[in-house]
Amino acid sequence: MGLDIRVQDRAFDPHGECAAFVRGRADAGALASFVGYCRDETAGRAVTGLTIQQYEGFTQAEIARLAAEIAARFGVGDLLVIHRVGAIAPGEAIVLVAALSVHRAAAFDAVRVLMDYLKTDAPLWKKEAGPDGARWIEPRGEDHQRRAAAETSA
Amino acid sequence: MVHLVFLGKFGDVAPDALARPVLPGDVRTLADLKAWIAAQSPPLGRMLAATPLRLAVNQALVQDLSQPIAAGDEIAFLPPMSGG
Repeated sequence: MGLDIRVQDRAFDPHGECAAFVRGRADAGALASFVGYCRDETAGRAVTGLTIQQYEGFTQAEIARLAAEIAARFGVGDLLVIHRVGAIAPGEAIVLVAALSVHRAAAFDAVRVLMDYLKTDAPLWKKEAGPDGARWIEPRGEDHQRRAAAETSA
Repeated sequence: MVHLVFLGKFGDVAPDALARPVLPGDVRTLADLKAWIAAQSPPLGRMLAATPLRLAVNQALVQDLSQPIAAGDEIAFLPPMSGG
């Protein structure tokens, strides 16, 4: 099945997508997944919603490039990435990363490291709205540290 | 004619007229372009100078700002990314 990379403004059901991803794949012994959700608060401030901007065409291509790198590195044949753009409400899924593999280790590693890559290298820009207005979010120091560590891990 | 794209916070301060600018003949490289933009819009120029910036030309990331600009190029200014 290979790499399935979607950048979309529609809401999606991560669990339904995982079920569809593994359906008919009796060759896969493991599915690992991560879902990131929009929270209703951050650092003590209320969040009323997110808006995520993409760079049309480039965003999809860059995520596909990162996913291909991870697939090759961990020997994982099947990766699914769904990333929302546009307006997102608290409680909605923002991102799903899932991997199928024969055994668990490769699937776990591929999902974790691809998420670390997406945090700092996926061309997406997140604006957080709250009672005091909206502000652009930039990667945290912790995200850069995880990204640097992901370069060499596993 | 080039097409400029300002993503994220850059888009909030970039004047609309900068999307399809008429560049003077002495703006030959990406570095020239960055300096010219700062002269057109000092608020945007300050933001570009203060932000770790990535540039994409025709949807490919570019490191070297001495790269010449060609007619028809789509040049995107990318602030730090925040996916996931």
